[in-house]
Amino acid sequence: MNNRLDHIRNFCIIAHIDHGKSTLADRLIELTGTVSKRDMQDQILDSMELEREKGITIKLAPTRLIYEYNGEEYTLNLIDTPGHVDFTYEVSRSLAACEGAILLVDASQGVEAQTLANTYLALDNNLETVAVINKIDLPSARVDEVKREIEDVIGLPAENCPCISAKEGTNVEDVLKAIIELIPAPKGDENGKLKCLIFDSHYDNFKGAICLIRVFDGKVKKGDKILMMQTKKVFEVTEVGIFIPMTKEVDVLSAGDVGYIAGSIKTIQDVRVGDTVTSADDPVDTPLAGYKEVQPVVFCGIFPVDGARYGELKDALDKLKLNDASLQFSPENSTALGYGFRCGFLGLLHLEIITERLEREFNLDIITTAPSVSYNVYKTNGDMLEISNPSNLPPQVEIDRIEEPMVKVNIFTPPDYVGAIMDLCQDKRGIYKNMTYLDKRRVELNYDLPLGEIIYDFFDSLKSRTHGYASFDYEPMGYSPSELVRVDILLNGEKCDALSMIVHKDKAYSRGRELAERLKKIIPRQLFEVPIQACIGNKIIARETISALRKDVLAKCYGGDITRKRKLLEKQKEGKKRMRKIGSVEIPSEAFMSILKLNDEE
Amino acid sequence: MKNNEISVYIHIPFCERKCKYCAFVSYCLDEKKQDEYVEHLVKEINSFKTDKIVKTIYFGGGTPSILSEKNIRKIFDALHKNFTIKKNAEITIEVNPNSVTKEKFELYRHLGVNRVSVGVQSLNDWTLKKIGRLHNRKMAIRAVKDACKIFDNVSADLILGLENEKNTHKFAKKLVKLGVKHISSYLLEIHEGTPIFDSVKKGTFHLANDDKLAKLYAKLVTTLKKCGLWQYEVSNFAVKGFESQHNINYWIYGDYVGFGASAHSFLDGKRKQNANSLLDYYDNVVINDENTSKTAIEEKIFLGLRCFFGVSVKELKSLGYDIKKNANYLDFIAKGVLFEENGRFFLNDKYYLVSDFVINSLL
Repeated sequence: MNNRLDHIRNFCIIAHIDHGKSTLADRLIELTGTVSKRDMQDQILDSMELEREKGITIKLAPTRLIYEYNGEEYTLNLIDTPGHVDFTYEVSRSLAACEGAILLVDASQGVEAQTLANTYLALDNNLETVAVINKIDLPSARVDEVKREIEDVIGLPAENCPCISAKEGTNVEDVLKAIIELIPAPKGDENGKLKCLIFDSHYDNFKGAICLIRVFDGKVKKGDKILMMQTKKVFEVTEVGIFIPMTKEVDVLSAGDVGYIAGSIKTIQDVRVGDTVTSADDPVDTPLAGYKEVQPVVFCGIFPVDGARYGELKDALDKLKLNDASLQFSPENSTALGYGFRCGFLGLLHLEIITERLEREFNLDIITTAPSVSYNVYKTNGDMLEISNPSNLPPQVEIDRIEEPMVKVNIFTPPDYVGAIMDLCQDKRGIYKNMTYLDKRRVELNYDLPLGEIIYDFFDSLKSRTHGYASFDYEPMGYSPSELVRVDILLNGEKCDALSMIVHKDKAYSRGRELAERLKKIIPRQLFEVPIQACIGNKIIARETISALRKDVLAKCYGGDITRKRKLLEKQKEGKKRMRKIGSVEIPSEAFMSILKLNDEE
Repeated sequence: MKNNEISVYIHIPFCERKCKYCAFVSYCLDEKKQDEYVEHLVKEINSFKTDKIVKTIYFGGGTPSILSEKNIRKIFDALHKNFTIKKNAEITIEVNPNSVTKEKFELYRHLGVNRVSVGVQSLNDWTLKKIGRLHNRKMAIRAVKDACKIFDNVSADLILGLENEKNTHKFAKKLVKLGVKHISSYLLEIHEGTPIFDSVKKGTFHLANDDKLAKLYAKLVTTLKKCGLWQYEVSNFAVKGFESQHNINYWIYGDYVGFGASAHSFLDGKRKQNANSLLDYYDNVVINDENTSKTAIEEKIFLGLRCFFGVSVKELKSLGYDIKKNANYLDFIAKGVLFEENGRFFLNDKYYLVSDFVINSLL
């Protein structure tokens, strides 16, 4: 029976963004005849519209490929992975479901930050990693140099690695051969106790929450009683199946297989990525290692532009959460923005995806407040508070100290930009750790940085200062004490809670001033003069004034044309609907996002 | 407001040349075309039946003074044939300094006109040229003088808001000296499709910015007050007793019927507008036919606040809007932007120039 396992390979493809992962996956699917060419849509596995648009894979979609090699038929399970740092944990669980990984490297770009980060993840999971060089058709391809880079920087043999063009289909068969020859077959005892890893989940309106699993030991079939070892929940299996890449029901999934389990599971919260599924009647003693509860790291407030649509926003978030266990939200009440939600995300990209989906799929007009991280605030009375909403920060006198989350940052860059990057990291309160010249054209920089600075336009600044040539990645490294203060904005003397921000003491003045200046530009003139003040506690640190409106009168009612005048007023009123009121001051909804763009004019 | 009364508007969509800022319906057509138009106009008047008594008639345009004697007589004949016109009804005609003569004024008086509105716009030759008027300062003064000799009730229009025109208040003073009893001073609005719109875009024509405009406006208001004219609406000033009854009727929600291309009517709670183009108008095309039951609250507020008579709190309530529950309203009252008197609320005239902001906050 070992013969069956010998003919299975479970693998994933890891790559830096844009190195051609999805295109290779499509070629493999095409080449193995899994989906006929006629039905091929570009990049099959990126199923979400948004993923297609952003050219990135967010959700994982596994596929079973059948390939004949040396006269024998092999089952190759491809588990696609998201490449973005926000989803590192999900990637790590996908990797844990495999025995091997294809490390895809762009022949002109070479090794990038995510290449390295993902390789480390693969090594952590003891995967056999096979280097593949892609995009050899590009005129700028430098195959030999990139081979050396892979050997020097990553330490993987690359001398005889497949060099392909996924786009043109060149040498793609070599990849399939390498998978079979180099990646080990799964091990496992299909007669043992059931042990599966959940590496992803999604929600189906008819079948409930679906577990995407890798079976390590035992078998699972319809009617079995299964136990989720972390949540301790028991379900009866209603269906098992595989992905081709559409779902296809099968009778049984055995050790070594990749597939899905459905069990009328009503909420996706019961299906935790990284959890172990075992038999409820005959469970294993210990779960698979590596389970972690994912914690959001970036937070922001989300409010409906039209306050009356609060209920719709709630429904939309509920629906998104069905499919996204990592999304967190709780009701929030802002004096400026009314009722809305405080939401937690895995990172900025995750935040962006969720807000865009709310707008696109649910047709909601929303206001999002500036993203924040979660601070550990130690009070003088010994309590510790986790504060992710600036307005919840206790008064200064009650605070003993504040700790902020830190991350280890890896930056890969051509040497020309080292100076600019060091300036940026310095400006972002970074602590220099190390710098390595990998070769003539590539330097690796290591910094420790506050996460709060990363989410505050670090990525955009890096991109603009290096003309897009640098790549970066980060991983959390705990909390460290910092001198942080809250800067509040007063409009006409009234505090606008949605504009408060927690910033480092040394930056409070400049940020306060910039924000006041920006608000002056965004907020239209009102009937009376409106002072804008930035303050820390009771201390005013910046002031701007919006002068009073001088003229707002339109359309004489000529020849009795009342309709025209009314329509003009209605048009103006439409614009006002997007305004929020603080005291008697009307603020356009864009103002609340303006904190984000403070550094635009640098 | 008496329910058995009605106002009549006659639109004359012809000009010798269209002014550069004008977005109204107007054509530069020869007399033959004018005859044809007047024929249709008369037909339209004849087909309108009402028991109501006409309290005001207003000839607007375009340039009504462009019409030949024959044509203007035809229109008056039709009006007299079809309507009962109140004794002392206010009958106004708009004239342009370049197309009006003493003889025409005599003719108008003879036909029953008792008020003329002269399109002066400015008394600065450079400005007049810039906005495409066909007259100059001298012609304007001549026309106003002639009008004042023949009519007791003369109004003049002045345009406000050109960047380099800082003397509008002086022109107003001069006109009052000449005997004008009423001044309408409208802020220059820039509409897409007009030559001025393009010039502004190209940067060859400049409008006064809001702060400057506010100053010019304030100067004009003070000057006219000193001259003995009171401001009874955002843009209208008059010696007591010389307010435009026709315009007031629009603002107090009175009935009116408009004849001619693009003319508006408001009858029994319904608004309608005739087609803009002549051919559509000849085919009796009506656009913008709407019932005002839904829009009455808004209209009453913005019409009332723009002029001296304000808005009745009780009336709004009867329409289903309790303005006293509006936080903005209370705020405005507290700050003196609005004030209440005898169950009505009014816009403090200091805030006329930002009336849309106030109105929008109340709607």
